[in-house]
Amino acid sequence: MENVDLKDIGQQKTFRRFDLQFRIQHIVLFTSVIALIITGIPMWLNLGGADHIWASREVTAAFGGLKAARLIHRWAAAVLIAVSLYHLIYSIVARRGRREFMELLPRFKDVTDVIHNFMYFFGLRTTRPKFSRYSYYEKFDYWAVYWGCVIMIGTGMVLWFPRLAEKCIPWLSYELALEVHADEAILAALALFIWHFYNVHFNPSRFPGTLLWWHGRISREEMLRDHPLELEKLNQEGQADQLAKKVVPGES
Amino acid sequence: MLLGDHDDGSRASPVHRIPLFDEDKQQVNPQVDEEPLPFSTRTTCGDCHSYDIISGGWHFDSAQSNVPAGRRGEPWVMVDRQTRTQIPISNRAWPGVFPPQQAGLTPWLFLRKFGTHVPGGNYGEITDQDDPKYVLRWMISGALPINCLVCHDAAADQDKSEFALQVFQQNYRWAATGSCPFAAVAGDASTLPDTYDPLMGGFSDNPAIKPPVVTYDKTVFDAKGMVFFDIVRQPPARNCYFCHSTQDLEKAGPYKEWTRDEDVHLLAGLTCVDCHRNGLDHMITRGTVDPKQPDLQAKTLTCEGCHLGDPAADSPIAAMGGRLGAPKAAHQGLPPIHFDKLSCTACHSGNWPGKKATLVRTSRIHHLGLHGKHNPEEPLPHIAAPVFALAEDGKITPQKLIWPAYWAYAQGGKVTIIPPEAVKEIAGKILEGNLNEARVDDWNSITREQISQTLTLLAAAGGSGTVSAADGDKAGEPVYVSGGKIYALDEKGALVEKDDDAAEAIAQPYSWPLAHDVRPAAQSLGATGCEDCHSTESAFFYGEVAVDTPVKTEQAALLPMYKLQQIPEPQLNITVNRFFKWLIIITMVVLILHIIGDLFSRLLRRSQ
Repeated sequence: MENVDLKDIGQQKTFRRFDLQFRIQHIVLFTSVIALIITGIPMWLNLGGADHIWASREVTAAFGGLKAARLIHRWAAAVLIAVSLYHLIYSIVARRGRREFMELLPRFKDVTDVIHNFMYFFGLRTTRPKFSRYSYYEKFDYWAVYWGCVIMIGTGMVLWFPRLAEKCIPWLSYELALEVHADEAILAALALFIWHFYNVHFNPSRFPGTLLWWHGRISREEMLRDHPLELEKLNQEGQADQLAKKVVPGES
Repeated sequence: MLLGDHDDGSRASPVHRIPLFDEDKQQVNPQVDEEPLPFSTRTTCGDCHSYDIISGGWHFDSAQSNVPAGRRGEPWVMVDRQTRTQIPISNRAWPGVFPPQQAGLTPWLFLRKFGTHVPGGNYGEITDQDDPKYVLRWMISGALPINCLVCHDAAADQDKSEFALQVFQQNYRWAATGSCPFAAVAGDASTLPDTYDPLMGGFSDNPAIKPPVVTYDKTVFDAKGMVFFDIVRQPPARNCYFCHSTQDLEKAGPYKEWTRDEDVHLLAGLTCVDCHRNGLDHMITRGTVDPKQPDLQAKTLTCEGCHLGDPAADSPIAAMGGRLGAPKAAHQGLPPIHFDKLSCTACHSGNWPGKKATLVRTSRIHHLGLHGKHNPEEPLPHIAAPVFALAEDGKITPQKLIWPAYWAYAQGGKVTIIPPEAVKEIAGKILEGNLNEARVDDWNSITREQISQTLTLLAAAGGSGTVSAADGDKAGEPVYVSGGKIYALDEKGALVEKDDDAAEAIAQPYSWPLAHDVRPAAQSLGATGCEDCHSTESAFFYGEVAVDTPVKTEQAALLPMYKLQQIPEPQLNITVNRFFKWLIIITMVVLILHIIGDLFSRLLRRSQ
């Protein structure tokens, strides 16, 4: 948690969960992904011919035709590749990035949290599982994007540069790459608009939506509700720090 | 060389104001003859043009032996609903067709079946090679010489349909005359008995017997008894279309036909003969170069020759391309392997591939264009197109395809067709039983029981010598071939389906390349992207061809195009497709359950 005044942790009302780095990465990511989905749809609908699905004519026309849709799609793909590479490098090189990456690694506790949570859903448990910095579903979101980016960028490159792909990876035929690309896109779009959007926007606790992606701040109530173990950890660090500095609470 | 065999360099068409001659080289002049005879193109046109050289041309030589067959082409098709047959017939050595004589077609019978769309010559002039029982018929009808006018008369009132109808009536001697606007032929040689003597006449009291009589418009003949013909060296496309039209049954009918687009070459101002040329020998170029008969001149008139140029050509202009104004294709972004694997026509010709190949009709197979006798409702025989299959040159080519259906005797891996008339004689009652039932896929269905009974009777007839192979060999095992399968009787007399040996391939579909109509470049495969072909939604690889058969089956079989292209089954694509389908379903089910669970728990807690 950044910009946390550990001395005042007990009185802090909001916490900065994501710094500017991460927020910019996220904005660039979702902008490019949404552009990719929107421009990918008319191309997908046109597979098998212009009349394959009736909506394809109207949707395609809305983009100025297939050529325009393809051009925008490739530009958005370039942006996605850039932000993915940046994130990868950042996760390796920067200390902060490495720390976040370690937090996002799946652990055994995530499995128990899943079970615990489902039991809570159906009244078999009275309390929710306690999550640390990232809950299991947030980790799922992160690794799903990882998986999606690898597949989409990999197969997308085959579709973009078929001649080069034929020389370098002849076993991955154009049709196979197209099949995987389209199917994974469908999965990603469904996961994004149903699962991720529910968790961050449509969830009754957050409806009509959170602006966490914009300002990066999270309230104490949300911390207590969604990431109590992290708050606990911060409390301990704050007290430890206070102890280390021999600061009495309330004193500046 | 005769006068008309070569020009002096003038590009103008010589005015053909010429005398007419009958088959005995006597001038026909109705101004002086009270009962003028029909004129013969052999003697009339042959007066100035070497008929014997011309008659060796591609349109007229299929009856001859030792003629190089070239690439597969459109066959004639012998069809009979009662016997459930559709047999591709040709005397050319194309694998998968049957010679006319094997199907019981002598020259006379060949003309009876297919003469409406024959330009004359060929079978129409080998009268002395026919079965003796037709000698008298030939004498009555006369020979059918090459009708030069069907191609070279540019007059709009040169009536090819009338020519065809005259042939249909066996008025061979009168056919060319009847097609001209200045002559009318009444009568029907087919009504004449074998004993009719054309010189003596007779039977004038019998209204059922109508000897052909020609009446000329005398005003057309000038003072010298000559007639004007609008003869051109290069026939207009409409002349070719009488025999070379294709109708897509998906766009057939009065409300859809107008949606069909013309070939882009004709729209650009070219005619058929700008590409399909020949010299005096009338060995017309067929648009491709036969590797067995390389003709460098013909090569310049192929798709590549005109559009791309031939780098190996001696002439620099031939190496350039752009002939006749042909746009030079850049094929930007297209990997060169496509030129090795595909013909030009694969991307540029025929209908845009659909999920299933559709039925088409052609002039020669379905006898199109006959005024008063055309049948727009009759799709049989069934020709499917476009079918993307491997051609003889190893390239994927769009083709027309027919599934042969026939009765035959099989022996030693070879089959001998049993003519439909012979089958009807032997097993007609068995096969006519259900002819009035509703058609299935346009066929009059045949049951396995009917096949079994017919084969049993054919076996008995073959053993008794009632029916034998055309060449006199002992008849073999009777079989019925249909829909790629061979039906035969086992030792116990039960019906079995036998595999078609790949080497013998007697049940394989017969296909031949199509090249028209050529679509504009903007409507070629690949114009909207690689996915036009390279996707699991693409009809190019995954489109299907219905296995056409009259045999009643529970479910119509469909053959995917990739099998005809001899491409291994794309199992990996199918497996991946299934994997992702289940991945999406399972993942979303779990995620949605999670969402539902969350909502449910909130509801539960709120109510407590």
